[in-house]
Amino acid sequence: MLQLTSDNNWKKLGEHHVNSEHDIVSVRQLIRYYAKEMNMGIIDQTRITTAVSELLRNMYNYGGGGEVHVETGLVDEKQTLIVTCIDEGPGIEDLELAMSDGYTSGKGMGYGLPGAKRLVDRFEIKSERNKGTTVRIMKWK
Amino acid sequence: MNNEMHEKRIPIIKIGNFLIVSIQVDMHDKLAIQLQSQILEEIEKTGAKGVLIDISVLEMVDSFIGRMLSGMASMAAIMDAAVVIVGMQPAVAITLVELGLEMPGVDTALNMEKGMEMLERRLEEEDYEL
Amino acid sequence: MSEKNNIDQKKDRIDHIENVLASVAAGDIDARINSDIEDDLSGIEAAIDLLIDDLTDELKQREKMQKEVEDKLVKIQEQQKVIFQQQSDLLELSSPVSKVWDNVLILPVIGTLDSQRTQVMMENLLEKIVETGCTIAILDITGVPTVDTQVANHLLKTVTSARLLGAECIISGISPAIAQTIVHLGIDLSSIKTKATLQDAMIYAMKQNKRSENVKLQSLFTDYDKREE
Ligand SMILES: Nc1ncnc2c1ncn2[C@@H]1O[C@H](COP(=O)(O)OP(=O)(O)OP(=O)(O)O)[C@@H](O)[C@H]1O
Ligand SMILES: [Mg+2]
Repeated sequence: MLQLTSDNNWKKLGEHHVNSEHDIVSVRQLIRYYAKEMNMGIIDQTRITTAVSELLRNMYNYGGGGEVHVETGLVDEKQTLIVTCIDEGPGIEDLELAMSDGYTSGKGMGYGLPGAKRLVDRFEIKSERNKGTTVRIMKWK
Repeated sequence: MNNEMHEKRIPIIKIGNFLIVSIQVDMHDKLAIQLQSQILEEIEKTGAKGVLIDISVLEMVDSFIGRMLSGMASMAAIMDAAVVIVGMQPAVAITLVELGLEMPGVDTALNMEKGMEMLERRLEEEDYEL
Repeated sequence: MSEKNNIDQKKDRIDHIENVLASVAAGDIDARINSDIEDDLSGIEAAIDLLIDDLTDELKQREKMQKEVEDKLVKIQEQQKVIFQQQSDLLELSSPVSKVWDNVLILPVIGTLDSQRTQVMMENLLEKIVETGCTIAILDITGVPTVDTQVANHLLKTVTSARLLGAECIISGISPAIAQTIVHLGIDLSSIKTKATLQDAMIYAMKQNKRSENVKLQSLFTDYDKREE
């Protein structure tokens, strides 16, 4: 199984639960705050906030809610904001399909996952049937 | 929770033939859907011919809000009302495009004045054709 | 002085020489023999002291040089930083957006476009559109020799984003070479307005301007007609 990039030197910024639509709003606002604190440019702030919003909604809609871990640290020698969304939902059966533009199992538009990937510098996803899904995204300054 | 949603109700103002909606909060999904129905109901009630949706203070539009806005435009069009999205921030526009939402068929304007002009022009053109 | 004492004393002095040499070797460059006895050994002692002097002088010289080199390196690094900053300033300067006349912005692009420069350009243009309220922007790429997929996509993204803001972005000056590349790369530019020359683009912009002016005039007339009735 694919291993997510991680580093003991990363600094933990926060851990948040997402169990309601309100949580989606407040957590994405926090992400904006962290990105601003890191002195990220306005467009990159918007990119990571929007990508996280997509992941949170998936987590809430398909994964029955979950947790978000926010960290900061060096990735490829660049100051990076790392956001990890973890749920213990049904998992994604066909990752390749889920990552393709326009695929939705529900009534979305199917742009959440592939779009989020385009908005960040690094995108890692790990999913196991009946165990859950973890998505880790990274954006550097 | 229901109360909270009521508090956040987004006001819709009617000026002349048009409705003006200014979205001032980061909307959660239910609020976005609620706004959609609210606007459609208002179009029916007032017979408005156009809707200006000002999103200049929105710092983020994700696929859900984007879908709500373009859906709004198509639905209003069926009811014979034109929708113009006004004042989108550059960072929001770039992000939407990268996300994959180009919102084809949705009319946009740089500011309220231009949006109003656009709607008026639309009405004039219709009059002219008659 | 007995012969034995003499030998012992010399032994001590030789030990001392050894000690001093060991100290110097260990880095104590101030260690010297400094003997004040005058005999057949003192010549050697003085010679060794001189040798140590030379050696330590050289060592000091080298240390000084090393420090100078390090200082220079720091200076060069600082200069590099300045140059880097200037380059990124230039990046912005090299894509000057100007409002040519009412409602129309022109961004002439000259030189090779890389992904980063196109990105900066896009951001500048969009900011400028919002700032000036101009609804037509002309991106003239006459001065651009070639584009690659990434750059073409950035251009496309610029046009689409501008539309979302409420402005129309026209690309002019697409050379035959670029047209060929774009089609070969399979990039679909059919959704955006392209014009052969900057002049064509300006004429188009003027017509667009007039069109909206006309509608405005039209509505004035209808208002006037209504009043007349
Ligand atoms: N956390 C998750 N757990 C289980 N399945 C998921 C999860 N995230 C995504 N999926 C599956 O992957 C599909 C694609 O997700 P994606 O976000 O790209 O589109 P969508 O959510 O269906 O639509 P949109 O995001 O455009 O509203 C989903 O329809 C869903 O089946
Ligand atoms: Mg989704």
